[in-house]
Amino acid sequence: MVEKFEAIVGLERDALTEIMNIGVSRAASSLRKMVGDQVHLSVPSIDVVNRRRAARLISEREISELIAVRQDFSGPFSGRALLIFPETNSLELVRAVTGDELSAQEVIDMEHEALAETGNVILNSCLATMANMLKRSLSMTIPEILRGSGDSLFEISDESSSDGLVLFLYIDFAVKKRDIRGYIAMMMDIPSLEILRELLREFIARVVGADGLNA
Amino acid sequence: MASMPSSEQIHSLLTATGASGAWYCDVSANKLYTDSRFAELYGFEPQDGIMGIPSQVFFQAIHPDDRARIRIAVAGVLAGAELFSKEFRVIAPDGSMHWMHARGQSHLDDQDEVIAFSGVLVDVSERKRTEERLRIAQSAGGVGTFEYVDGFATVTVSDEFCRLLGLHPAVSLPIQTINGVMLPGQPQLIPNGRTKDIPESLEGIFQIVRNDDGRQCWIARRGEVLREGGGYRLIGVIYDVTTTKLQEAALRELNDTLESRVAEELAIRHVAEEALRQAQKMEALGQLTGGIAHDFNNLLMAISSSLALLKKRIPDDPQAHRMIANALQGTQRGAALTQRMLAFARRQDLQSEQIDIVALVDGMQLLIERTLGPAWTLQCDFPHDLPAVLADANQLELALLNLAVNARDAMPEGGMIRITAAEERVTAEAIPGLTAGRYLKISVIDNGTGMDDETLARATEPFFTTKGVGKGTGLGLSMIDGLAKQLHGTFMLSSSAGLGTTATLYLLASDKVVASQPRLSVVEMEAPVRPLKIVAVDDDFLILMNTTDLLADLGHHVMDASSGSEALELIRQCPDLDLLITDQAMPNMTGTQLLELVVKERPNLAVILATGYGELPPEARGNIVKLSKPFDQDDLAKAVAQAIRVA
Repeated sequence: MVEKFEAIVGLERDALTEIMNIGVSRAASSLRKMVGDQVHLSVPSIDVVNRRRAARLISEREISELIAVRQDFSGPFSGRALLIFPETNSLELVRAVTGDELSAQEVIDMEHEALAETGNVILNSCLATMANMLKRSLSMTIPEILRGSGDSLFEISDESSSDGLVLFLYIDFAVKKRDIRGYIAMMMDIPSLEILRELLREFIARVVGADGLNA
Repeated sequence: MASMPSSEQIHSLLTATGASGAWYCDVSANKLYTDSRFAELYGFEPQDGIMGIPSQVFFQAIHPDDRARIRIAVAGVLAGAELFSKEFRVIAPDGSMHWMHARGQSHLDDQDEVIAFSGVLVDVSERKRTEERLRIAQSAGGVGTFEYVDGFATVTVSDEFCRLLGLHPAVSLPIQTINGVMLPGQPQLIPNGRTKDIPESLEGIFQIVRNDDGRQCWIARRGEVLREGGGYRLIGVIYDVTTTKLQEAALRELNDTLESRVAEELAIRHVAEEALRQAQKMEALGQLTGGIAHDFNNLLMAISSSLALLKKRIPDDPQAHRMIANALQGTQRGAALTQRMLAFARRQDLQSEQIDIVALVDGMQLLIERTLGPAWTLQCDFPHDLPAVLADANQLELALLNLAVNARDAMPEGGMIRITAAEERVTAEAIPGLTAGRYLKISVIDNGTGMDDETLARATEPFFTTKGVGKGTGLGLSMIDGLAKQLHGTFMLSSSAGLGTTATLYLLASDKVVASQPRLSVVEMEAPVRPLKIVAVDDDFLILMNTTDLLADLGHHVMDASSGSEALELIRQCPDLDLLITDQAMPNMTGTQLLELVVKERPNLAVILATGYGELPPEARGNIVKLSKPFDQDDLAKAVAQAIRVA
C-alpha cells in the first residue's frame, strides 16, 4: 500500500526554507573561513517531490553528468543527503575553495578530497542546523563522492520502488565571478518526513505562538 | 554592542535611497529602534522609535496573513541566517495597505552569536501591481519573458516562458537547458555566452520539441538587445506561433499543388465532356435513324400494299407475278432493315418475356452452326441453375446470331466460338449504365483478329463497319447495344488486336425460373367480317390511300381523314360507324389523343392504333388494338377482326 504524503506547504514550507537558509548561511560562513570572503549561498526554492520527479528536475536543468557528495543521516528522522553539481562545475568549485593557487593537475588531483570536504561543510551545516532548530540530534556518516545521471543518484531502477520522497533544494553558489550552481537533496521515506513535519509544527508553535498571529 | 547611528544620519540616508523606514533591533536588550518614517508607518510616536520600544512591535502592523511567515523568517535570522529579504503587507494607521520589501541582516559578535538585526523597508506596492499586470499579461497572452546578461550560464525567465517550452516553472534556467529543446539544426534561442558577438536583433522563429510531451512547436522570439559596457543584455519575449505556421504550410501546400489539381480537374472534365459529346452524338443519330426508319417504313408499306393489291388485279401472267414477288421481297428486306434501325434507336416493339437462355441457345444452335460453316465450331458453356432473363426472344436470338457471325468474320481461317453465361450480382455504379441487381451475363468469345482501341471505341456506333462497302450495314452491334439498353441491361465489348474479342450482354435476371415455353406462331384464323363502316386517319396521304385501298379491297366502306380533327368531324356525322383506324404519329393531335376524345363520345366504337414506334403510351391500353407498321392486308384484316371482337 502506498501511503499518501501531503505536500509540505504554507508555514511548514516557510519554516523549512528558513531553517535551510540558516544552514547554508552557516555553511557559507564556514566556507568563507576556509577560502576568504568569496562565498555566498542562498536557498531560493524548496520542494518535496518523488524520486523520479527529482531526477527529471535535475536532468531538465543539467545536460552534463552529475557529481554528488553523499552523507547518510539518522536520528528521529533518517535519510540520505546529497550535494549535487553539474560535473563541469566541480573543478570550478575546487578552484574557488582553493583560491586559484593550484595548478590544473593539482586541482584534478585534489578534486575528490576538496569536494568531499566542501560537501561535508555544506551538508553538515544544513543537517546540524535542522537538528538544532528542531531541538533533536542527528548523526552523520562520512562523505562519499558519486558520479552519474539523475536517475542513478536518486537510485531509480526498474527493481526498486521509486515511491520514496526527496526534499529538494535549489541553492545558488555565488563565488566571485564564477558561475557555480548546485542542489541539495535529502531522500527520506514517508515516516521520516511525517516526523520532520511534526517537528516543523513544534518549531512554528515555538516561534509564532499557538495561534500564529501573536504580535 | 555595535554603535548606533544617529537618527538624523539614518533619516537623511534613507530619504536619499527612497526607503520608507529603517530599523535596528538590539537582540539582547529586546529593543527596537526605528526612524520617524518607520514610526509613522506603524503609527507610534517618532520619539519612541528613537528611544527604543519592545521588539515585538516589529510584527504589529504586519498584515495578519503575513505575520506568521515573517516571524519564522525573523526567527531564522536570529538563529543565524545571514540575509533577510521578505515582502509583506503593512496596514498603516489610516487603514491603507502597503506592500513592503524588508531587507535586513544580522550582526554577529566574535563568537558568531547574533547580537543585532537591522534593515530598511521599501514600499513596493506600485511594483507589486506592475508585477501582477505583467503576470496576467503573460499568462493571458501566452507570452513568456526572459532576460539574459552575456557571460552568464543561466537566464532569468518567467513561468510562462517555461510552460511554452514544456519545462517546469523556474526563475532561472541554464542556457543549455533552454537550447536543449530546439529541434536539431535550429539556431539557439538564447545565444551561447561564450561567443563574443553581440546579436543584432532578437527577431526570429524557432522550431522546438517541447520537453514534457515531445510536441513539435513553433516559437517566435522578439525583444531588444541592450548594450552595457563591453557586454550586452537581452530582454525579450517568446510566444507560440504553431497554428500560424501550420496554416502557412497548409496554404503553401495548396498553392504548390494548385497546378496539378487544376490539370487533374480539367482531365476529369475533359473525359466527362467527351462522354457527353458521344452520348449527344448517339442520341442525335438515334433520333435521326428512328425518324428515317419511321418514314421509310411508311413508304415501304405503301409500296408493299400497292404491290399486293396490284397482284390481285393483273392478269395471270407468270412473268408479271414473278416481278411483283421480287418487288415484294425487296420491300420485306427493306422492312427488316428499318427494324434494325429502330432497334438501334431503342424504339422497336419488344415482346419482353421470361427466357431460359440455355433453352434459347439450344434451340438455335443448329441455325448458328449452319450459318457459321464447317470451319468454325460452337462451344456452349452454361452452368446449372441459371436464372431466366427478361427479353424479347426473337431479338435476343438475332443478337446472338449477329455476334456469332462477327466472331466468325474475325477468324477467317476458322476456329472455335464460345458462348458462356453466368449470373452476376452487380453493385451500384460498378458497371456503367447498370443499376444494382442480379444480371445474367452472356458472352460470345472468339480468339480472332481483335480490334484496336480506335475501332473498339467506335464499334457500337451505327453505320460503322469494318467489313467493306456492301458487306455489312454497320448496324449489327449498335442494334445489340440498343436492345440491351432498352431491356435495362448493357452491352460491353472487350478486345485487343491479335488476341480476340469478347462481346458481353448483361440482361436483368428474372426472379422466377420458368421452363422455356415452346414458341408456336399461333395463327388464329379470324372469322370473315361483315362489310363495315370505317374511318381511316393518317397525316401521310400515301399511307392513308394505301390503308383505304386495302380496306376497300376487303369489302369495307372507308372514309378517310388527314387529321384528328377531320376524323372527329366524320365520326360525329356518322352514328352507325363501326371502326376507327388511326395513325399514332400525327401533328397537332396524336392517335392516342384522338382516341381519348372518341372514347368519351363513342365508348363502344372499335378502334385500331397503327404505329411504327415501339411503345404505346401506357395510358393507351384497354380495348385498343395495336397494329405495327408496316402491315400487309392479312395483318390489317386480323386487326379489324380483333377490334370488332373486343369492342
